Amino acid sequence: MLILLEENYPMKISFTKRQYISFASVVFMLLIWKLLSLYFKSDFILPSPEKTLVTTIELFVDKGFLATVGITMARGIIGFFLSLILGLSLGIWAGINANFSAFLKPILVTIRSTPVIAVILLALIWLNTNAVPVFIALLTMFPFICTNVIDGIKSVDGNLTQMATFYKVSHWRIVREVYVPAIMPFIISGASSAMGIGWRAIIIGEVLSQPQYGIGTVMQSAQTFLKVDAVIAWTLIAVVISYLFEKVIRWSEKRIVVWK
Amino acid sequence: MSIVINNLNMHFDELTLFKNFSIEFAEGTISCILGPSGCGKTTLLNIIGGLQKPQNGHVLGIDKKSISYIFQEPRLLPWRTVQQNIELVLANAYDEPKRQQIAQNFIDLVELNGFENYYPSQLSGGMRQRVSIARAFAYPSDLILMDEPLKGLDVKLKLNLIKAFTRIWQVDKRTVLFVTHDVDEALMLGNDIIVFSKAPINVITQKSIGEPSVKRNLASPEYFELKNQLLKVLND
Repeated sequence: MLILLEENYPMKISFTKRQYISFASVVFMLLIWKLLSLYFKSDFILPSPEKTLVTTIELFVDKGFLATVGITMARGIIGFFLSLILGLSLGIWAGINANFSAFLKPILVTIRSTPVIAVILLALIWLNTNAVPVFIALLTMFPFICTNVIDGIKSVDGNLTQMATFYKVSHWRIVREVYVPAIMPFIISGASSAMGIGWRAIIIGEVLSQPQYGIGTVMQSAQTFLKVDAVIAWTLIAVVISYLFEKVIRWSEKRIVVWK
Repeated sequence: MSIVINNLNMHFDELTLFKNFSIEFAEGTISCILGPSGCGKTTLLNIIGGLQKPQNGHVLGIDKKSISYIFQEPRLLPWRTVQQNIELVLANAYDEPKRQQIAQNFIDLVELNGFENYYPSQLSGGMRQRVSIARAFAYPSDLILMDEPLKGLDVKLKLNLIKAFTRIWQVDKRTVLFVTHDVDEALMLGNDIIVFSKAPINVITQKSIGEPSVKRNLASPEYFELKNQLLKVLND
């Protein structure tokens, strides 16, 4: 019913009490920032929010902005889709085959418990600078998606597959109609955690590997020249992009998981 | 052709469910199988449906038959609508427009028109079971197996579902094997009522009711008498 209502009515902009409280929380953070900047009285330690905002706008209109942000985002998206493909195929295999699952589990645990920084240091030796952030993204995101797919397949109701088999529904159709929708919520929640972690890992990777373009690259050089306002401005941009990715995932969840 | 079971043997560890068990179910009738819980009624349905294999023995008359199963739970896909759930089982047999038409026809027969595009989570338990009845009849089968699909529903819902079931069956008289432990359900639906013993299964008694299901009045003395007879053999 809710789904029908949402589609039939034009979007209405109104704020709930909770949204006002969340807004107050943002104001609170800005206030603390402002007070701290007044206390330190130095742009080399902590510039004020207004100054940082101006810097952010300057970054926006800078001609290198699109390349920097675009390439970092592209790395995130490539890393994400590689993780998705790898996580889905290995996850489905492990979900169906208990032996393969037993084989895969220790590998996933090892990857997940290895500190990101250790992987970056090694990747810097093994790979070229452009590939390092993507490789890091893949290694941090893939275990989340894979584990969730395995859990998703295990959660598929045996009664439903038995029913479908009994009614002679084809194998291909059982995968499409029973398995894929059943694991969809698991894939989405895996994707959401993966994106949250992967995004941070990509920027760390860029800071250390210094590819030609990338948010991490420009943050590193801003830090070298003590441009604290620029470091914070880039951080804000990274936060906004991360938030947008999360929104896209949640939005697609609503579109895909309509039956709950 | 009727369904014949010859010299069925099946046991799990210590428990022998069937020992040289033979029975015949008539075609085009509703056979109700009554028996104490755990006696192996469901196992018999599963053997006939091919979900379980007997240690030895044969089931004759089902080789070329296509079978529907109304399970204890509705077993609907939560992410598919009422209409899509029914169309799912028709995909191999019919093209798209035909599927739609058949699904709609059976949705109407179980009085769910208007709910075609609802998801199972938006329906009540009884409505979901009605979808599963519609699905079983929409499927081009010769035989319908029913494993206590009314279990756990309240009396009003039960009557409702039995009405929905008999309404369809009147126009489409397929062979039905209906397993239950509830004497009233058997009296309301069955043409043949067969009472099973505890495992290993024997047929204790068998009754036939000529009167069509829709015309039966369970409060009348004859049904009261029949009910008492059945209860007596069940409890012995």
